[in-house]
Amino acid sequence: MSASAQLLSEIAVRFAALSFIAVGGIMSILPEIHRVVVDVEGWMTSAQFAELFALAQVAPGPNAMIVALVGWKVAGVAGALVATIAACGPSSVVCYIAWHWADRLRQSKMRAVLQRALAPIAIGLILASGYTLALAADRSPGAFAFTLVAAAALAWTRVNPVWVLLVAAGAGMAGLA
Amino acid sequence: MSEPEPAAASPLADVSRAELFASFLKMGLLGFGGVLPWARRILVDERRWLTDREFAELIGLCQVLPGPNVVNLSVIIGARTHGPIGSLIAIGGILFVPVGVMLLIATFYASVASEPLARNAIAGASAAAAGLILGTGVRLLRHSRPPLRGLATGGAALVAVGVLQLPLLWVLVALIVVGVAAEWLASR
Repeated sequence: MSASAQLLSEIAVRFAALSFIAVGGIMSILPEIHRVVVDVEGWMTSAQFAELFALAQVAPGPNAMIVALVGWKVAGVAGALVATIAACGPSSVVCYIAWHWADRLRQSKMRAVLQRALAPIAIGLILASGYTLALAADRSPGAFAFTLVAAAALAWTRVNPVWVLLVAAGAGMAGLA
Repeated sequence: MSEPEPAAASPLADVSRAELFASFLKMGLLGFGGVLPWARRILVDERRWLTDREFAELIGLCQVLPGPNVVNLSVIIGARTHGPIGSLIAIGGILFVPVGVMLLIATFYASVASEPLARNAIAGASAAAAGLILGTGVRLLRHSRPPLRGLATGGAALVAVGVLQLPLLWVLVALIVVGVAAEWLASR
């Protein structure tokens, strides 16, 4: 197997495995993606990961696009496609199968219990994602202040996140980060 | 006042493959900073394929299942119109533009990444992007107001995965068992 085919299959296996446990969406598995690509595989540094995440947030589309960017960083365009398909494929098959009996489960007590049990865990994982990204991105007191202001803006106002990112990029250019 | 519709008259039954693709293409195209608000606007307000209540129920299901929520939504809406082929069409529609745009942005980024000005801009944006996710978590927490048992499992998830960086799979298995048991006992 050539080196690039080997790399692509590694990307496929890593993201397919993550796909099955992405309860609550891609934001829940960001710390795990970070752990795998930075600590386990050594494909990039923690700071590079935070940069890719910022790019993914500026672009349109599902948050899941961070996966395409990570794939691109590791193995170019082919890496982006393989990572996207691997991250979405297994969970989509699970979803298709689950949908077939979802109607039967609609009134079931177990589904309500599961939903109530998973919701706070998913929120905890989203906060863990923010914490992981903040550790990776905040290398100065200025950057830390950016993180706090952006968090407050999202939590307590209805401002469009894209404006927050653009203002932060501008302030960064001015040397404030 | 609207008449109760018979089940067979779901508007989804008449959706063509082209309409399906176009609708999800639009969601992917417009979804800056998250697709979900656009998904609701297009599926409920514009196309009238779903009612608000059906949409909320579907999102609840998509959140319980693993995988990106909007991709799961695409799978189900696609399946209800054209079976497995419909699912593939909807996923393709919602991911087509974002993946293409992402590759363009990535190429541009690679060509300017060493410029000091670009480095500073990216440093600012990535610090803010971390804040956006923290803020989203806080917002969800404020709106859902979980009971003490939920705060315990959520807090444990934050510490185990964020601070201690433990592997997600085992944390999830443990927390789901504990969380489901606690909810089950509380609902008796």
